[in-house]
Amino acid sequence: MLNDFYRLVSKASIIFIGIIITIPIFCGFLGFFLPSFNYLPILGKGELSLNYFYISMNIPGIYKSIILSIFTGLVSTFLALFFSQVILLYFFKTKFYNYIKIIISPLIALPHITMAIGLIFLLSPSGLLLRSVSPWLTGFDRPPITYIFPDEYGLFLILGLILKEIPFLILVSLSALREFSSTKFFDLGKSFQHSSFSTWFTLIFPIIYKKIRLVVFIIIAFSSSVVDMSLLLAPSTPSTLSVRILQIFQSSDVDSFFIASNLSLIQLLIIICLFIFWIILEKIIKLQYFYIFFIKITSIKSEFLKFVILCFGIGLFLLSFMGIICSMLWGFSQNWYFPNFFPNNLNIDSFLSFYDQNKSLIFISVFIPLMVSLLSTSLTIIWVELLDYLNIKKTQFEWIIFIPLFIPQISFLIGIQSFIIFFNYNSFLISLIFVQLFYVIPYSFIILAPAIRAVKFDYIKVASSLGKNRIERLFKIKIPLVLPSLLTSFAIGMIVSFSLYVPVYFIGVGRVTTLTVEALNLALSGSKQDLGIATFFQILFPILLLLTIALINKKTIKWKF
Amino acid sequence: MYLKLADNLAKIVLRCFFISIFFIISPYTNATEKKNDWDIKADKVSGQTIFFHAWGGAKNINSFIKWASDEVKKRYNITVKHVKVTDTANVVARILSEKNVKKDNNGAVDLVWINGENFSVMKKNNMLLSENWIRDLPNSKYLDFENNLSLLNDFGVPTEGMEMPWGVSQLNFYYDSKYIKSPPRSASELKDYIIRNEGRFTFPQPPDFTGTSFLKQILIELINDKSLLRKKYVIHKHKKALIPLWKWLDQTTPYFWREGKNYPSNYLALTELVAEREIDIGMAFNIAHASNAISEGKLPNTVRSYIHKDGTLANVHFLAIPYNSGKKTAAKIFVNFLISPEAQLKKQDKTFWGDPSVISVAKLDKNWKNKFSMLPRGIATLSNEELTMKFEEPHPSWVKIIEEGWIEKYGSNN
Repeated sequence: MLNDFYRLVSKASIIFIGIIITIPIFCGFLGFFLPSFNYLPILGKGELSLNYFYISMNIPGIYKSIILSIFTGLVSTFLALFFSQVILLYFFKTKFYNYIKIIISPLIALPHITMAIGLIFLLSPSGLLLRSVSPWLTGFDRPPITYIFPDEYGLFLILGLILKEIPFLILVSLSALREFSSTKFFDLGKSFQHSSFSTWFTLIFPIIYKKIRLVVFIIIAFSSSVVDMSLLLAPSTPSTLSVRILQIFQSSDVDSFFIASNLSLIQLLIIICLFIFWIILEKIIKLQYFYIFFIKITSIKSEFLKFVILCFGIGLFLLSFMGIICSMLWGFSQNWYFPNFFPNNLNIDSFLSFYDQNKSLIFISVFIPLMVSLLSTSLTIIWVELLDYLNIKKTQFEWIIFIPLFIPQISFLIGIQSFIIFFNYNSFLISLIFVQLFYVIPYSFIILAPAIRAVKFDYIKVASSLGKNRIERLFKIKIPLVLPSLLTSFAIGMIVSFSLYVPVYFIGVGRVTTLTVEALNLALSGSKQDLGIATFFQILFPILLLLTIALINKKTIKWKF
Repeated sequence: MYLKLADNLAKIVLRCFFISIFFIISPYTNATEKKNDWDIKADKVSGQTIFFHAWGGAKNINSFIKWASDEVKKRYNITVKHVKVTDTANVVARILSEKNVKKDNNGAVDLVWINGENFSVMKKNNMLLSENWIRDLPNSKYLDFENNLSLLNDFGVPTEGMEMPWGVSQLNFYYDSKYIKSPPRSASELKDYIIRNEGRFTFPQPPDFTGTSFLKQILIELINDKSLLRKKYVIHKHKKALIPLWKWLDQTTPYFWREGKNYPSNYLALTELVAEREIDIGMAFNIAHASNAISEGKLPNTVRSYIHKDGTLANVHFLAIPYNSGKKTAAKIFVNFLISPEAQLKKQDKTFWGDPSVISVAKLDKNWKNKFSMLPRGIATLSNEELTMKFEEPHPSWVKIIEEGWIEKYGSNN
């Protein structure tokens, strides 16, 4: 009797969780899909038409924006993938290999825009790099007239993107490498007189790639539709498609919503095309004669070329760290004009006043990720437990939760925000937390669910034979066993939520803002000092979080099985 | 055990029900309120929270708003939340989408800082509290509506009492006097200057407010018949009128900072560029901007302001209440405070904001008069005499045309 009741309740909750997760995804999709065909009955538009496609395509410079988005998305993904492998390959089987993870973790944890801001502080004509050689070497007593930054082709946007994506790709590749006997493969290749380069790319990389393929597609989708980084690093006449969508959405015409929706659909179609293109590329590379061709090229033992590639890879890392340090320095500086390499005076006055005026902002920026991540990890655990309880083994349908990562953020948010206004819901904070969940759950899920499912059944059996019920087994056996994954998933969840820009912009509508949104506003209004301080907090938070997690991990994992 | 659970559940459901009833009723209780004494009104809205959507890019303005919010909290127990906006058009878009889905009360915005094109869009679409409310506020007696027509006309559109004047501004330029002896004081001098000093001039990218205003300024200086600009833009009649502006830009754009392929996003980003000496000339609408930036350490103290010989664009900025605000009375109380001599004095004070007061000093008593005359001016702020040459704003219909034309010709070709 009681058991039946429990089963009923768990079935109901599974359906309930399924509904609250999937319905908004479809709402978000329909919310921009239907208006782009001129369909939104509430605005009195009930006739389907392709009118807005015509209007969209006639926006001045829209083709340039589209090409820019495609170019930056593809090139950055390709380069990030290439350099992540090059860096791994040169450190593979060296002493440094074990430290790579420690070095890249803070870089992964930083929000995208922090990286972009660091680049601006470093590379703009009045940036630190030129200051360091001016005026003694270059003779510049004022910033030179250069057109390099931001450039017209989006190269700096690509640079910014790869600085963020390389560490991420390295991290996922590292865990992929642990899953098979990579050292043996490597030695095998070497024993056939292949260079380490061709060994890596013909033997090891294909295996890694199979495991990280999903991530690569996420990166393609993300980098061809990124908003926050484009606002800072992309050229502005015209900018990338995602920024154009944002600009059009912001203008106060009735039509602008439909045009923005339509462009959102086009953005989605572009991403789908890129996926198809990438898949064709994969097919070509898989062909046998390509392999032979590839081995021929890579077996050319050019030590110099290797060295250059490696230097470039390491240079990228240095660039990110220098940018970060430079932006922190700005937070404490005053009267720091070109060409001074170091600020005239350093003080913490502006730091303190910023902190004083923005206490609630800082609090909310930590509070939201905390809530989102708590919710998403608990939802994941509940979900996995319920499925286990009901003995549902087929879990293919779980891919649905990954959809938000493949739909461009701006499209999804344009879609979902109109639903939120439509339902007349007034709590901006709760809506924001809810919407952020869609971007955090996939990460929590992908880290946590396999870990829980991998807990050996024997432990559970022993526990139940000792009379422990399901709840006790969960809290006393399963969770302690998966604690490292749980903590990682929790930390990643917080970091992802912390760095989200578009959801906060659209759902918070200024009423709820976070450091990420505020930092972007500051970067656009050129207040370098405040920007430095905001960036400081953006760096501080993820690093503190990582340290805390590491500490907890160390303290609690005394008893390992 | 289940009984207990059910009991608890029932309690929760009931509680939710009552709370929701309360929320459904509460907006109407405001609406039934009759015109009473100001103080009684203030008592009634004690404890409310209003959302003030105002441009939030400048530190000094933000801290002024913070100060004013703290004051009304102290006096009337009204909490003002400053929603920092990057472009007021977003706020208009937000209210428009609320209107579209018929969200006619408790909208997201209770008060908005606005003027020009955004006002005209809101007025045209009936998105504002449409009664003539500004004269009801006690402090409106300090404003000289009879003699100063610009207080009732926003870019030539009659405000009909739907928005309260809050401050005056005038486009002004600034440069570093250490390096430049005499800055260019007209559109044609500026053109020569730009061509001679390649890569050292730019303006905020339209549709930014200051950027568009700069284009309007150039148009006004170059157009033959200035009276055209007061009329509504009609494409077949007025397209030619814009030719001088496009010609000016065609000649200058290649010599802009980064060849006109990139522009700073707003006037504050421009300030940074002047400070770093990437460019020579900056511009702002707040006449105390350069002085403020100097005292904040953002510009060197050799920077000075100037305006063009024939004058520069001047306008009034306003506060308006959206039609669907749920807290109109509380918003009015805050507006009333913002136009009080006390708040206006603070606003004009260069250590706070430096934005000229909108109230007429002649209408004040001696004590306040003194306080206003005692206010120090910043070293880079022009005197009232230097600011006498003013241009009227063109009709708002021109704004969109100029913006779109610019974006098509210069903003999307790379």
